[in-house]
Amino acid sequence: MIDPTLVLQALVSGILAAGLYALVSVGLALAIGVIGIVNFAHGEFFMVGAFFAYQLFVSFGIDPIVSLFLVAPALALIGAAIYASTIRFVLKAPELNQMLLTFGLGIILQNLALLVWGGDPRTIAGIPYRSVGFELGPISVGLVPLASFLISLALVLGLYWMLARTATGRAMRAVAQNRVGAALVGLEVNRVYLVAFSLSALLAGIGGVMIAVIQSPTPTIGLAFTLKAFAIVVVSGLGNIRGVLFASLFVAIAESMVATLVPNGDTLRNAVFFAIIFVVLVWRSRRIA
Amino acid sequence: MTRAASGRAFPWDAVGLIVLIAAAAVAPDVLRALFGRASVSYLSIVTNALSLAILALSWDMLARTGQLSLAHAAFYGAGAYTTALMLRHLELPMWLGIPAGGVVAVLFALLLGSMTLRLRAIYFAIATLAFAEVLKSIAHHAPTAFAGGNAGMNVAPLFRPAFVAGEMERWEVAFLRNEAYFYVYAGLLALTVLVSMALQRSRLRHAFTAIRTNEDVAGVMGVRPARMKLLAFMLSAAGVGMLGAVEAHRIGSVLPDQSFAVATTVLALVTPIFGGLYTTLGPIVGALGLSSVQELLRRVFDDGYLIGYGVVLVMTILFMPRGVVGSIGYAWRKRGSGPSRAAPSAAPGSDAAGAPTRAASDAPADDPRAEAGGDA
Repeated sequence: MIDPTLVLQALVSGILAAGLYALVSVGLALAIGVIGIVNFAHGEFFMVGAFFAYQLFVSFGIDPIVSLFLVAPALALIGAAIYASTIRFVLKAPELNQMLLTFGLGIILQNLALLVWGGDPRTIAGIPYRSVGFELGPISVGLVPLASFLISLALVLGLYWMLARTATGRAMRAVAQNRVGAALVGLEVNRVYLVAFSLSALLAGIGGVMIAVIQSPTPTIGLAFTLKAFAIVVVSGLGNIRGVLFASLFVAIAESMVATLVPNGDTLRNAVFFAIIFVVLVWRSRRIA
Repeated sequence: MTRAASGRAFPWDAVGLIVLIAAAAVAPDVLRALFGRASVSYLSIVTNALSLAILALSWDMLARTGQLSLAHAAFYGAGAYTTALMLRHLELPMWLGIPAGGVVAVLFALLLGSMTLRLRAIYFAIATLAFAEVLKSIAHHAPTAFAGGNAGMNVAPLFRPAFVAGEMERWEVAFLRNEAYFYVYAGLLALTVLVSMALQRSRLRHAFTAIRTNEDVAGVMGVRPARMKLLAFMLSAAGVGMLGAVEAHRIGSVLPDQSFAVATTVLALVTPIFGGLYTTLGPIVGALGLSSVQELLRRVFDDGYLIGYGVVLVMTILFMPRGVVGSIGYAWRKRGSGPSRAAPSAAPGSDAAGAPTRAASDAPADDPRAEAGGDA
């Protein structure tokens, strides 16, 4: 028989893990939805964020919570630099060109990181709150996953609010809908893109800081997160933030359920994730037609 | 118009093929004469380049119908696992594993292709990626007694040249082995090139281009998109499946993470874009070019040489957006024919180098939300 507390525990863990998925995917959704750039280097921003947090901790003893505020602007700058030096030249290029360019950027970032930090997993060891947890009745909740979930949720909702209410957000939506029309009414399209791309990198970087505390990352984690974020963004309809939240929740809970309830299920996480993505895409394409 | 276009484009492919075959026939002996012992490793570098060319050209054949596959690791892995499983469980001649690998890959392509027929652009790409990742997980979780699970399986080598004491030196055994593999790869590449050229010469080329440019219009004009897309899928998978099988023998093992590596998929896509899409020559030039670049960088920089590799990719897209072959061809036509500049623009469909930019950019890139149906 399946133990109901186990199911509840899996559900809670799944929901908490969904925060990080949503955060990374929402950044990518911004790049695809607003700029229309197929960014296969997105996960590398995430990886760079993680290793910046690690280095800040090792070199200066800076707590990852403080690092959030240092890594975020750093990643925004890196994003802006990459946009200005490369991305803006391929905005109108075919998707495949964008893919190759961003793959190239990803290879550069990943191998720079490998050169600096080597290939071994790096752990931010000795933070007091890393192993703190709460017991809520039969289930336990770790402080770090909970905090990362809340931060992610706040950022995703903040982004949603920004897009809906602020002038910058409206500009982004206008550019996303019609880049010529937006330019005609006086928006500086290129600047909107620059801001959107920086923001996209920033969100991924913050996700990276959190993964540095949750796991022990290596410089090669980027691609896996790129692919997963892509899958989530594509399933949720390219640039649909509510869809990203829903899809992240769904796949993260499914992953967590299988990992907890199926024997040896932890290794099945990827299979569950991609099987869901495949089935949803294929099923939806059939239903529509 | 068609005759003019083919008169211009095809001799280059034919010349390229003849040069390649001639070069391949003498390459091992030339290397041996020039470098002696070092030719053993040179030969395996060249073989890797041929392997990349087979992968890239196969991927390109599918891309000609506008289907951007991220599933080629799955076909490669299917081929590798097929030959490994046959070796382990069936008493059959080892060589049969190679065509069998191709057949199994084709069956997977048929399965995947028929499920993803209605998906376009990035939706198609992600669905194929998900398919490949699921297959990788299945390989991980296959019962150990049947398919090795995480530990994979050993695969016997295709060639075991014998060492004859007194008549040859030790390294010559390795040379003979590498030489034999080299010819197998060269043969497989020749086969892939022939298929690709046959496609380019036949009416299918126009059908593929029409589907890539606008599938709905192609359907209205009498092309059968579903049939064409599946055909391209199967042709593309066949070569990659056989490649996976041969490579399993050469490497000596199959492992889930190695046989279904995302890197295989990435290389399959990167190489044709680098060399020039939708041609026979482009992916081959891309494979030879990227392999040389990588090898040179490795020798010069050692650690972190892949940074340079990434820089080369980025620079290529920024300065040669049509890929190496495409950009050279484009510059050549622009320079060589001032008055007849109207010709390429009048026939965008048959213009091998000019078509990709136009065809792919207008539909998917400008409006990423243009899915088969659209979303809420």
